[in-house]
Amino acid sequence: MRNANSVLLTIVASFVLAACGGGAQTTDLPPPNGGGNNNSGNAPYTGPTARDADVLKFQQEFWSKTRTTDRCGNCHNESVGQNPMFVRSDDVNLAYDAALTVVDSSQPAASRIVEKVSEGQLGHNCWVADPNVCGSIMTTWIENWVGNTAGGGREIVLVPPTYQPPGASRNFPDDAFGPPSFETIIHQPILELYCSNCHSSESPNAIQPYFADPDVNVAYEAAKSKMDLDTAANSRFVLRLGDEFHNCWTGSCAADADVMRTAIATYSGLIAITTVDPDLITSGALRLVDGTLASGGNRYEDAQIALWEFKTGQGLTAFDTSGVDPAIDLNFSGDVVWFGGWGITINDGKAQASTTASRKLFDILQESGEFSIEAWVVPSNVTQEDARIVSYSAGTQARNFTLQQTLYDYNFQLRTTQTSLNGDPALSTPAAAEVLQATLQHVVATYNPIDGRRIYVNGQLMTQTDPIPGGTLVDWQDTFAFVLGNEASNDGLWQGTFRLAAIHRRALTQEQIVQNFDVGVGEKFYLLFDISDKILAAPQSSYILYEVAQYDTYAYLFDRPHFITLDGSTPEGIPLEGVRIGMNGQEAQVGQSYGNLVQTLSAQLFVELGQPLSSLGAVIPLAKGPDADEFFLIFDRIAALTYSRPADPTLVITPTDLTPASHIGMRTFDEINATYAAVTGVDPTTLAVDVVFQELRQSLPAVADVNTCLSAHQVAIAQLAIQYCDALIDGPTAGIYFAGFDFNESNSTAFVGANRDLLITPLIRNIVGNPPTGPQLASQPTYATVYIELASFQAAGTRPDNLIDRLLNPPDIDGVPQVASDTRSISKGVCAATLGSAVTLVQ
Amino acid sequence: MKNRTWTKTGLTGLMRIFLATLLAAAIALPAQAGPREQAKRIHDRLAGVPPSESVLAQMEALMASDPQAAAYIAMDDTSFYNVTLKNFAAPWTNRDQSVFVPMNDYIATVIGMIRDDVDFSTLLSADLTYVGIGGVVNAAPSATSNAHYEQLEANNVDLSDVALFAGTSQSSVQGIPSTATAGIITSRAASEAFFVAGTNRAMFRFTLLNHMCNDMEQMHDTRLVPDRIRQDVSRSPGGDSRLFLNSCIGCHTGMDPLAGAFAYYDYDEAAQRLVYTAGNVQSKYFNNDLNFPQGYRTTDDSWENYWREGQNAYLGFDSNLPGAGNGAKSMGQELGNSYAFAACQVKKVFRTVCLRDAENQNDRDAFDTIVATFRNSNYRMKQVFADTAVHCMGQ
Repeated sequence: MRNANSVLLTIVASFVLAACGGGAQTTDLPPPNGGGNNNSGNAPYTGPTARDADVLKFQQEFWSKTRTTDRCGNCHNESVGQNPMFVRSDDVNLAYDAALTVVDSSQPAASRIVEKVSEGQLGHNCWVADPNVCGSIMTTWIENWVGNTAGGGREIVLVPPTYQPPGASRNFPDDAFGPPSFETIIHQPILELYCSNCHSSESPNAIQPYFADPDVNVAYEAAKSKMDLDTAANSRFVLRLGDEFHNCWTGSCAADADVMRTAIATYSGLIAITTVDPDLITSGALRLVDGTLASGGNRYEDAQIALWEFKTGQGLTAFDTSGVDPAIDLNFSGDVVWFGGWGITINDGKAQASTTASRKLFDILQESGEFSIEAWVVPSNVTQEDARIVSYSAGTQARNFTLQQTLYDYNFQLRTTQTSLNGDPALSTPAAAEVLQATLQHVVATYNPIDGRRIYVNGQLMTQTDPIPGGTLVDWQDTFAFVLGNEASNDGLWQGTFRLAAIHRRALTQEQIVQNFDVGVGEKFYLLFDISDKILAAPQSSYILYEVAQYDTYAYLFDRPHFITLDGSTPEGIPLEGVRIGMNGQEAQVGQSYGNLVQTLSAQLFVELGQPLSSLGAVIPLAKGPDADEFFLIFDRIAALTYSRPADPTLVITPTDLTPASHIGMRTFDEINATYAAVTGVDPTTLAVDVVFQELRQSLPAVADVNTCLSAHQVAIAQLAIQYCDALIDGPTAGIYFAGFDFNESNSTAFVGANRDLLITPLIRNIVGNPPTGPQLASQPTYATVYIELASFQAAGTRPDNLIDRLLNPPDIDGVPQVASDTRSISKGVCAATLGSAVTLVQ
Repeated sequence: MKNRTWTKTGLTGLMRIFLATLLAAAIALPAQAGPREQAKRIHDRLAGVPPSESVLAQMEALMASDPQAAAYIAMDDTSFYNVTLKNFAAPWTNRDQSVFVPMNDYIATVIGMIRDDVDFSTLLSADLTYVGIGGVVNAAPSATSNAHYEQLEANNVDLSDVALFAGTSQSSVQGIPSTATAGIITSRAASEAFFVAGTNRAMFRFTLLNHMCNDMEQMHDTRLVPDRIRQDVSRSPGGDSRLFLNSCIGCHTGMDPLAGAFAYYDYDEAAQRLVYTAGNVQSKYFNNDLNFPQGYRTTDDSWENYWREGQNAYLGFDSNLPGAGNGAKSMGQELGNSYAFAACQVKKVFRTVCLRDAENQNDRDAFDTIVATFRNSNYRMKQVFADTAVHCMGQ
């Protein structure tokens, strides 16, 4: 019975889906090219004509590219006789028949011929340094050929993964067993010693990754993905030495590999194993690479003449994988690093092609008279200006075209017969819209003479009609260089990340741009998390499907979760709540977007990929790297199983004593004004007072802290006090307030004897708050203290006389005697000195 | 011979000398806080102005038996409303947290609610605003102008006078449904300051800052479920997701689900007024929605309080409330009925009256008592002012 089930499972296990989008449609012919090096092996074809349209497409898109002697034409032809002879030159129809045996038209990337040129360290006669690039180019050629014959849609075959329960795992720690132990066991004795000539940011020949960097934290991060903590022998470090003989430091690579393996094993032995909590309800586990490739294939690429996907991940070259010769390979200079999940980051450098290779753009685009620049970019910031993103130029004053960043804007400069040799005036996205953001964006700049220049961002046209009439490209120069992230002359640095860049020989339509935007960027996988046993279904039948990608160097993106069955079963009414993503034996600590998910699994809701469970995506931090991180799902509830999730602890704040602060402070602006009004009886809305107050309002103390008292505050206080005293003494209530004091008397009689008390007593009583007799406020100067200062103190040789006497007898200035002010002025001065003092300011 | 008269400049020099002398003398005075001094300080701190002799005597007489009653006498002073409370609330009404702003409906509502002992926990949810009445100023209260309040301030209208200044329904002034009002959140001043442009997160952040006494950084919790973080928040700023996973997520994971309550609000700069579009999410909620298309897309004005769980549960939300709902009013109730809201009001009063924070166990004990009293006696702010003034009246 079990065998029967296995057979049945084998039959139904492959679930074929028509992928979203349409496959690599090819409606236009790519530009003619010579196909690699035009050597003697590339004689003109003189055999029978193609028997049908598909053979003709094969001839144009695949055969003509691969038949050159630097590629496949050196062996797989009738002359040499190496089978399969898919590039034979005697009969393209026979070549077509042979090619069908090594090409998978439903999944070009899975073709045997792609696998062959990509395999191993060098690939099977790969014609560039990176065999994966040969694989990409070969895939492109096959796609260009079969695009229309694949029925308009790429098929994705979901194959059930082998069930694997979440396993115990070692995780890279950040404590003492992290960088410190790594440093003493691996970094110092091996990596720094033997690898720092290249794999260090300080090296003159710096090559990423920097696992031998003198900064151990940098080295630790870079080395994580090279060390397998669970099986040291599988570490990339070990394999690189033992199997690939990469820069071994002794005569025996096997011995060096063993040294490395031993060191990694010693290090990992220090790290505790993380075991899966047995109380968790978990799905099956799998790694990113165990998934089904979900990406690629349905970009609009008919007019594409250059493409950089940045898949290589190492070295100093980004290869043009468009398959259109000659390849515009970009060489890195300065601080350019690889970005996880395909991409490069320009920190302080550039990726530039030779002028010879760049000439492909000159040749093709000048002929087409139109073109598009396409890029997936992540600007590092929104503060850089005149920062060249994509440029075909010679320096700051001469260019064929440039797409650049200025703050929140994209600018497009293009040399035509209607613009300057520097491509000015530039076309820009509107500044107010702040189109450019420091996040992943798809930007396309198009040009044709009819519509002029246009800039599309994330599939939307963001520019107004180009004010410059269309021109031709006849003024272009073929001596310029194509460069990413800088000016050819190094004075236009753009800091940011490229995930993809492409040049098309046509002005893409909005529909085509949207198509490419919708495809997205980077490598994506469908991961099938097995929940069969949890919902009591047949083994390897029921799954939660996620589309997973490496989001950037530091995280994964889990997206588009679906419930799907691969055996045709149709379960209904199964509760599902709280889905969390586990990694390497434990729940990811952050980014659990599906933690509140509540769904009922139902086959009735199946669409293309099954039942959609959420429109949300989850960004989960990367730990060991895409080859090693093992994912699984954790459920709070699924079917009859429930997990009681413990609550996160509540923060407990333990108060601590503060440095004792002053318990007194200053009155602030409005309080001062109100206080002056209250103690003088002057209406604060009195025009003269109010005008001064409004002028001084923000010059008065704004906070009560005495430590913030400034001389400017004192000046403002004095001015306001004078104004209030002026309004009081010249106002209608002066006779009441200062009952018996005659302001019209001369100063020689007004302040004689007890007359002074008629002025001083009301001031002290109202302003200080202390009467001549009776209880005194201990928190204020006493009546007597203030009285002495204002009216009675006579010089004792240590400090000046009282204020009134000093005002009555002003000192000479430069030997010139001064006349005392009149009674009113002296009274106002005494009033203001009291009012503007600390007795009112301090509260 | 020169006839020298007093000029402002000449007097200023003298004043500075004199002021400095007396200031030093006053500060150096020993704290001899008898009932009279305590009464004086209570009046100074509450009203911002010194008491008259008669008021001081009245208060002094009560200090031994009922100091709170003495404080209530101080709070009868016009300046308590026109000065202290006005400047108490003014910084909450603008992004710069400046006290130098014209009076507005936000400030007026705070003053009125305190004066009339209105349940202050409804500050963020009530259909209430305060206006001058009886034609006390020329300009009428308006949804499109602040002139009414500026005139109240310029004319120094006595805000302690119930015949001149009274509460009315905010919905009638703002021209929005009563159900759409949310106390000072939907005041014209707050709308102008915090609903203008942007994404409406500013309204939440400043409400949190001003009425829960925490800024977003204090609420940082990366453990919560980030399923309501909107699409405009880049998950890989500048190509580095660590920024999001270590920093951005910690604030947005709690803020975005709560700020969903404001989905129907905007401030129309042209019309100078609050706009409320029932059932229609404002377009600002979809700004930069392609930054992360897999983020949360707002569909209505629902909100949810994730801070009821995890480290921020210490804010003490009311277990009798559901912790989720629709619209600003219910969200305002969620915040207004929390322990943190009550404690924040006391904290602000403490700073205003004591001129410092609670700095030792004695202060903290008093603080806790005042908060408990506040929460258990219908959230009367005058009680808080009185209790705090008594605590800081000196010994």
